[in-house]
Amino acid sequence: MYNEMFRGDDLRKEYSVIKEWMDKHGPEALLERQAEAEELFRRIGITFAVYSEGADTDRLIPFDMVPRVFNADEWNIVERGSIQRAKALNAFIADIYGSRAIIEQGVVPASILENNPAYLPAMNGFRPPNDIWAHIIGVDIVRTDENEFYVLEDNSRTPSGISYVLQNREVMTRMFPNLFEGGRVRPVDGYGDHLATAMQDCAPANCIGAPTLALLTPGQFNSAYYEHYFLADLMGIELVEGSDLFVDSDDKVYMRTTKGPQQVDVIYRRLDDDYIDPEMFEPTSLLGVPGLMRAMMAGNITVVNAPGTGIADDKAIYTYVPDMIRFYLNEEPVIPNVPTYCCERPDDLAYVLENLADLVVKEVHGSGGYGMLVGPTSTPEEVAAFYKKVEANPENYIAQPTLSLSTSPILTPDGMSPRHVDLRPYVISGATTSLIPSGLSRVALTEGSLIVNSSQGGGVKDTWVLNEGASHA
Amino acid sequence: MLSSTAENLFWMSRYVERMDFIARLLDAGRRLDALPRREGTVESEWTSVLIASGSATTFPDDPQNATAASVCHHLIRDTNNPSSIMSCIAAARFNTKAVRSSVTSEVWEAINQTRSELQRLIEQDLDVHNLSAFLDKVRGRSIMIGGAATETMIRDDRHGYMQLGKWLERADSTARLLDVKYNVLLPKASDVGGGLDYLQWLQILRAANSAGAFRHIYGRSIDSEGVVDMLVLNSDSPRSLRTSLSHVYGELQALVTQNSPPQQDLLHRVRSNYTQLMNLSVEDIFAQGLHEWLTAFIVELNKTSLQTATVFGFGPATIPSSS
Repeated sequence: MYNEMFRGDDLRKEYSVIKEWMDKHGPEALLERQAEAEELFRRIGITFAVYSEGADTDRLIPFDMVPRVFNADEWNIVERGSIQRAKALNAFIADIYGSRAIIEQGVVPASILENNPAYLPAMNGFRPPNDIWAHIIGVDIVRTDENEFYVLEDNSRTPSGISYVLQNREVMTRMFPNLFEGGRVRPVDGYGDHLATAMQDCAPANCIGAPTLALLTPGQFNSAYYEHYFLADLMGIELVEGSDLFVDSDDKVYMRTTKGPQQVDVIYRRLDDDYIDPEMFEPTSLLGVPGLMRAMMAGNITVVNAPGTGIADDKAIYTYVPDMIRFYLNEEPVIPNVPTYCCERPDDLAYVLENLADLVVKEVHGSGGYGMLVGPTSTPEEVAAFYKKVEANPENYIAQPTLSLSTSPILTPDGMSPRHVDLRPYVISGATTSLIPSGLSRVALTEGSLIVNSSQGGGVKDTWVLNEGASHA
Repeated sequence: MLSSTAENLFWMSRYVERMDFIARLLDAGRRLDALPRREGTVESEWTSVLIASGSATTFPDDPQNATAASVCHHLIRDTNNPSSIMSCIAAARFNTKAVRSSVTSEVWEAINQTRSELQRLIEQDLDVHNLSAFLDKVRGRSIMIGGAATETMIRDDRHGYMQLGKWLERADSTARLLDVKYNVLLPKASDVGGGLDYLQWLQILRAANSAGAFRHIYGRSIDSEGVVDMLVLNSDSPRSLRTSLSHVYGELQALVTQNSPPQQDLLHRVRSNYTQLMNLSVEDIFAQGLHEWLTAFIVELNKTSLQTATVFGFGPATIPSSS
């Protein structure tokens, strides 16, 4: 198992400043400061709501104070790999709703579009500005060894979590300014500017002058509402709900303001495809904007991410992403996929059922760590119950070997203790494709656990990328 | 500004003001309750408080049977009553959360902390021993929220809509507070102007934070004419109807646009109401009957609120019934 802080008993040089800092304060004092940090998070209101607990339950994501560090070389892999992936996924989405060369040439089977709720036939023939469909893509990456990374999954719909990346850093720099002395850690400022610029770059063809941007939220009962508010504030754009917007007979989108209607050109929507336009999709949705799709097709509004991008992050599509990279970019994947068994293939199904106790099994259309089985940490009864589910409905599941995820230390009352972590960098595509030097590091808080999702009790860490040449030695 | 943002800001401060008013009303009820009364007369102050709060229709019992305990429950913690203190602070927080980026973090934190703190306080039983401490806390908190807004908000339209909501609600509150006296029965007609009458007016003034200033301003003992003058016509009082309407008019002048006829109509309505109030005397009010005049004032204020919601594009408004 790869420990990111220690090589055997030896401290990795990237962590020397952090080790000094921890030794200087001691675990008790640091845990007190951690409570202080959490109080700060609560006061600012950085919370998320958990669906099953009803409407008004604001909870904090547990924050671990020990930063996670990437050196410049390691980050180089993450950065190149994520950008490559985002480019390939955008090319794939454009192809699927366009000429479908990748299917014509037999790289991806046509069957992936059948019965796939993420595929929106309404988008066929549509071309968004700059041919960018997924302006923001979260790539979930795990590490298993020195310079060995795997992509666990892609998030091309409305990935969340960036607010934690920025606020974790904000809190750490506020509480421990000394850690950041000398500028060894690359700053994460500018995400808002970066995103707003990408949105402006993708303004619709009919937009004249500086585009008006807005962020569309389902409202404050949404689990990520805090982030919606945070990002709108960061970019200085209006945070709107569906009821604030309307599409007029001129097929343009307007905000209702106290001084009359004001046209909107680019909408960053944090609302699922199904709900964005009751005229086109879910007719009972009160969250969306009737006619939004009409306005988009008429070239009067850019929707970020465009509807239909879910086709690229379906777990059944995932297995083809390395092929997409070769097909569209003529490159080899910088970061490989985790070997994946598709249970709809008879051979794979047989293998999966045989080895269920050693595998991680996920629902093809599931998300957030719900409805999954982690074989090695499950009871025989849980495995047996899942066996029946997979057998009854094989096309609904994929399986992967349990990787030996890297660990990063967290602070416990007994000192430091290693826990499994993953990483989600956020790739932004506008006129160019890039990402800020950090990402969301999610950490399992239970010893041995591999589940890092916040909805399942995972925590977060500040994630550092060191400047070239800065080793903290 | 988004209409919904304006609406949330407007209602946020209305709810904070209403929370403050409910605390003042209950404080008046507590003080009136403690006054001596003749044997065999019915208690009426809690019924009166209930009616003045605009919550008689949500009260689960016959308002005539209202008691200290049932009214306190209904006006403090009953979530079925949209005007209860806990409903008000929850609504204010909801409105603020919806427009987090439009208020300063000081305003948000003041409201957020008020809700947590009041929630913690009502976990205990509230009775005569700690009711006044709780009410003081509520009023202290509303002052803190108001202070956070005054001290930290830029004086733009956002601040304007908050102020508009606050002053409309305050006008409504002061009118309702004065009307409490109408419903509190005096044991017999000849008691009007007597000692008990005096004590009841004193409690109304106290609830309006105005008892101390009264003698300072009027140089005489408290009487009905003086109280009405202070709470309706005195332009120096921070709670009078004249002061409230003057602020409503001032805020509206800055918020309406020249090229919107409906918004100009609203401005004219408020200007005409304000002008009337400026030309009014205490004698005019009593000639019409205090209760009748106050009721007409509250009805007109409701119409102004509804028109405000319409011309700025708010959703449907929720206004408590006028007594």
